Amino acid sequence: MKWRYFRQHAFFGIVRLSALIIAAALGGLLFYIIVNGIGAISWDFITKPPTDSMTKGGIMPAIVGTIYLTVGAIAIGLPLGVVSAIYLTEYARQGRIIRIIKIGINCLAGVPSVVFGLFGLGFFVVFLKFGSSILAGSLTLGFLIMPTIIGAAEEALKAVPQTFREASLALGVSKWQTTLRIVLPAALPGILTGSILGIGRAAGETAPIMFTAAAYFTTKLPGSLFDEVMALPYHIYVLATAGTNIEQTRPLQYGTVLVLVALVLGIDLIAIVIRSYMRKQKRW
Amino acid sequence: MEGKPIINLHNVNFYYGQTKALTDITMDFNKNRVTALIGPSGCGKSTLLRLLNRMNDLIDGTRVEGEILFAGKNIYSEDIDPVEIRKKIGMVFQKPNPFPKTIYNNIAYGPLLTWAHKKNDLDTLVEYSLRQAVLWNEVKDILHKSAMTLSGGQQQRLCIARALAMKPDVLLMDEPTSALDPISTAKIEELIEELKKHYTIIIVTHNMQQAARISDETAFFYIGKLIEYNKTEKIFTKPDVKHTEDCITGRFG
Repeated sequence: MKWRYFRQHAFFGIVRLSALIIAAALGGLLFYIIVNGIGAISWDFITKPPTDSMTKGGIMPAIVGTIYLTVGAIAIGLPLGVVSAIYLTEYARQGRIIRIIKIGINCLAGVPSVVFGLFGLGFFVVFLKFGSSILAGSLTLGFLIMPTIIGAAEEALKAVPQTFREASLALGVSKWQTTLRIVLPAALPGILTGSILGIGRAAGETAPIMFTAAAYFTTKLPGSLFDEVMALPYHIYVLATAGTNIEQTRPLQYGTVLVLVALVLGIDLIAIVIRSYMRKQKRW
Repeated sequence: MEGKPIINLHNVNFYYGQTKALTDITMDFNKNRVTALIGPSGCGKSTLLRLLNRMNDLIDGTRVEGEILFAGKNIYSEDIDPVEIRKKIGMVFQKPNPFPKTIYNNIAYGPLLTWAHKKNDLDTLVEYSLRQAVLWNEVKDILHKSAMTLSGGQQQRLCIARALAMKPDVLLMDEPTSALDPISTAKIEELIEELKKHYTIIIVTHNMQQAARISDETAFFYIGKLIEYNKTEKIFTKPDVKHTEDCITGRFG
């Protein structure tokens, strides 16, 4: 009897400990970033461009650039991803070809981001002559996050009860209207989850934008999709490895990291709020 | 049997992949009658029902042979759009399946996407359909609440109203009361009685008493074959086939 209780407690203990380690790792990371970065944060830091060879001043162009690139990536990755997922789950006849396509998508999700960067450089920047620009960077990031979005959207679409589709089709509503009006709205919360993961990746990746969009230094804000922009992850990379004075700019680096994390959390939060609002309306 | 047939089946065979689910079915369904399809589980009655509005098209690897005529036209001929067939032949399912929308939008959904576009028309149609399904008095003040807040029986009547809003000629019902309590079941049965004035109703049921109570004609199926098809009184009092009698008296099934 005792032994059984002991085993139960031991097992619960291990499970709790695992959860705690994960929470602690995240908490520790955030704590470390905040403690080191908070000192650099000021109104000027987030509203002014860098000065004195990027050893002083703010990071405003990088914040703006990252927002543009993230929104661009979502604008490209989300519709393409959702439409692909709709095709794969709703329309395609399940068989070998679809299985191969799905395996391909999973492989794409595992491709290192620097490979996406080089692809973007070769295809968008050079071949399509977009140059190093918001457009090229957004497209590259969009393709980077697409597999994640397809995966999440597929799962979300599959989770929509078949009875909804049948009910709609039995009324004499066409298949694509059924998909658009019944299936897609029911799947949106799940699709948003995928997008949240995508947003985090798009905002935080350095390698894909290094060759396709990011400027080392610019004070002016982009005027068109074909302009280069500064971006937070690349700015951090530059300050920490190739800046004019790496040690002196440490506080700036931490400050920039803090801003990037806050930005990603902020965008995620918006998506999470929308999702919970949608979830409240769905009940079946 | 006298009556005006609206659906005719000629030598219909149906396959799920290699499995033959229906064998050589020939029968007519009469207009403005309630026809019950009965038989033990897996006898093909639901399959037959779903053939009539081409819902089996949704399943990969199915095949139909023979002819199914609706108003004289073969609904499986190449030039027929299944979507058009389903507008004329509505369906109510075993489990109530309202959309996660408001009560109003559940009803308005189909017409809005197909033919009714004016707000006034829709309002009238929603009320008309809900009245026909004897649900209006219960929901007239909560039309803009989610349909998911209704009870199971109310949801099923909502599904019937939703099907009626498309103004179909035929209403297919696949065990519409099997997930409901006795009081809700009684309400739906009354409703069916009322609806047959305007619609042709074909209902699959596992409940022999229900078939006896509500239907005018009854068809008995066994392992994919139509064993006996006749007036309900005849089937339930002196069936021609011994097998039918065994089933309806509960010896198996």
